[in-house]
Amino acid sequence: MASQKKDKPEHKRDRLQQPLVMPGIHRYQFFSDISDRPLTKNLNRAAMLAIGTALAVDALKPLIGGVPQTLYCYECRACYGTQDRCPVGIGLQAELTVSARVADYERFLRAGGLKCVRCGNCRSFCVVNLDLPRIYSTMQQRTIAAMQRGAIRRQAIQHAYDDGLVGRQFIDRVAQWLEQESG
Amino acid sequence: MTWLGALTLLLFVGVMVLTLLRKINMPVQTVLVITTLVILALGAAHRAVFDGLPAVLAMPNEAMGWIILHPITALLAGLFMAGALQISGGFEAFKVLIMALQRVPIIGLAGTLVILIQVPMIASLPCGRIIAAALLPLLFAFSAEGGMNVLTRTQMIVLIGAFSRNAFGSCGPSPIGGVGQIGEGFLGAHFDAAAAGMLRAPQAFALMLGTAVTALFLKFITQRLYPDDVTLRDRIADTEMAGRKVEPPKATLVGYASLVIFVFALLASVFELFGKLPVQTVLAGAAVLIVIISRAGIRDLMAGIILLPVAAMIAGFLAAGALAATGGFDALGVVLSALSKFPLLGVAGMLAIFVQIQTILPLSCSRILTAALVPVLYQFGPAGFNFITWDQLAIAMAAYIINATTSCGPSPLGGGGMMGEGQMRAESGYIKGAYVFTSMAVMAPLAALYMRFANLGLFRSQSEMFYPSASDMLQLALYAAVVVVATIVGTLFIGRKASISIASGQRWQRVGFLALGAFAGAVLSFSLYGLAGLEIMQGAVGGALAALVISLMVPSRLTPAPREAKS
Repeated sequence: MASQKKDKPEHKRDRLQQPLVMPGIHRYQFFSDISDRPLTKNLNRAAMLAIGTALAVDALKPLIGGVPQTLYCYECRACYGTQDRCPVGIGLQAELTVSARVADYERFLRAGGLKCVRCGNCRSFCVVNLDLPRIYSTMQQRTIAAMQRGAIRRQAIQHAYDDGLVGRQFIDRVAQWLEQESG
Repeated sequence: MTWLGALTLLLFVGVMVLTLLRKINMPVQTVLVITTLVILALGAAHRAVFDGLPAVLAMPNEAMGWIILHPITALLAGLFMAGALQISGGFEAFKVLIMALQRVPIIGLAGTLVILIQVPMIASLPCGRIIAAALLPLLFAFSAEGGMNVLTRTQMIVLIGAFSRNAFGSCGPSPIGGVGQIGEGFLGAHFDAAAAGMLRAPQAFALMLGTAVTALFLKFITQRLYPDDVTLRDRIADTEMAGRKVEPPKATLVGYASLVIFVFALLASVFELFGKLPVQTVLAGAAVLIVIISRAGIRDLMAGIILLPVAAMIAGFLAAGALAATGGFDALGVVLSALSKFPLLGVAGMLAIFVQIQTILPLSCSRILTAALVPVLYQFGPAGFNFITWDQLAIAMAAYIINATTSCGPSPLGGGGMMGEGQMRAESGYIKGAYVFTSMAVMAPLAALYMRFANLGLFRSQSEMFYPSASDMLQLALYAAVVVVATIVGTLFIGRKASISIASGQRWQRVGFLALGAFAGAVLSFSLYGLAGLEIMQGAVGGALAALVISLMVPSRLTPAPREAKS
């Protein structure tokens, strides 16, 4: 009997030092219980640090980039309902908002961000009433600046230019830059 | 499809499966972060060779674009509110009200619990975590440990499990930023009024019935397959309680006031009483008000905040972002399109698999894959490959979206269901079988049927709009009843086998998944094509294939196998 008891594996729930999952509730789960994995302790700490850093950067970027409102975007894509009401035929407005939040210039170009004329027709579709024209305007200026300092791939700009994704306001500057680049 | 996209998709799926099967024995956040780094390294190497340095430098931004802040802040706001209610005595006030409500003859305890379970869908907030975090501790109060000693262990499992199921699907039909709005936005290309809520009713209908079937599954199958994996105590018998003095719950004025503030905040969020405001702002403001009136300290509040699900969620987002940046999702789209070329599957079979894809690959927030795959589904319609008509696209979208929005529940990567498991003191994966089964076999076909018979005509252009006839509604009721009865019969049958032995229950659970998966695929094809024999057969094959993969992802045991005794 004694030996049987000794051979019985210890159950995680018998340990008191468990992660807290809800106020006053501990949980006994494989994924979060790191006490039986001492070899990976530092790896886990590094992973948590990476996660924390990613979140901090993701939250700080829009503040530094002048588009703090993008933090409130639900990413529900209700703005896709704009459809034909967008005079330049942008179909994926949320792509512009998200790319503005993280300063992803190529995604902004692909979604037709440089075509936007900031009419504000998409604004009424946003469930949190974000000032979308202002966000897109800021991102347009940043995209052009990034292009001029060589932070965007030439192919991405060429594709946007060829596919008609650059609006009248920016077409000259983009064409000039492409001409310079092709030397 | 590039070889890199195929490789990264294979790597991600492989790592997830190995983690689920316990072959990789590390916390999921660590696994996901390492996977993300490996995928990004592969992508960076590929871009360095083919695209140059600017493309490499853009990768972190691309990956981070997939971190969706909304569910993270929603969870934190919900926890903040839960902490505030706990401190102020709001939960005690809620207990008093519930005790009073269950004494109403026409409602009773059962009626009270049913109302509670459906509260998330009634509130329909844009993330189920908000209301789950706030109300799960209250549900726990019904147990012996929670103090009320009203419900048995089994009843607690069913209550918490069903409530969590309802909560972690309620983000779909939400009119204030629900996941379903992604689909509605795309359908707006043809259906003028789609943005007004075309997918809302099919989702709500399917979720309501799906919640009931989940409760049955938890009672008759899950408990029998994992008998020792919930450590909730059973209800203390009345005979034992006879000698004890049980204190009925008492609430203070502050408790009632904080409860009123909480309910008002919910109503203000749903009905936009203060205009269009992020729901987190309203809830956080209400929580601060509760803190002020209850004179709580910051430390008390912080005790309610938990970072583990948040960390797992962010890790999941990062992995998805790395996949997107390296073309993994494009590869998935190509694979799905290729499936439709197989004669045995065809377009009907491919769609039967497609609508189940988020249940096959449940991530921490359904928005991740929905944002990536709804455009693919849209491309199957007249705007792209022209595989299906606009009406068929709306039906497939309804099935896909409800399946998608309920997928964060069973996700082991920081999915909402983990909160429910924690609350019922269960091992991770305890609710997975019940949740994926109902998403697959009940909700997807019901949403498709509802869209076809009751909803499609309402959202056409003014000249084509029509209301469903009595015959349509009768057909919907009949087919919905067939789906629900079939899943109930299947659940009870597997439950009986599970009561004989766990091994037999698991075997029959697989068979049940396959049979009802095929049935769900056939129902979906029927909704799309009517009584077309070939398409129904193809749908059944696709549904069975999806169900096979889903059933293999359901853990057969939740605790480590006992080690061999050393000789």
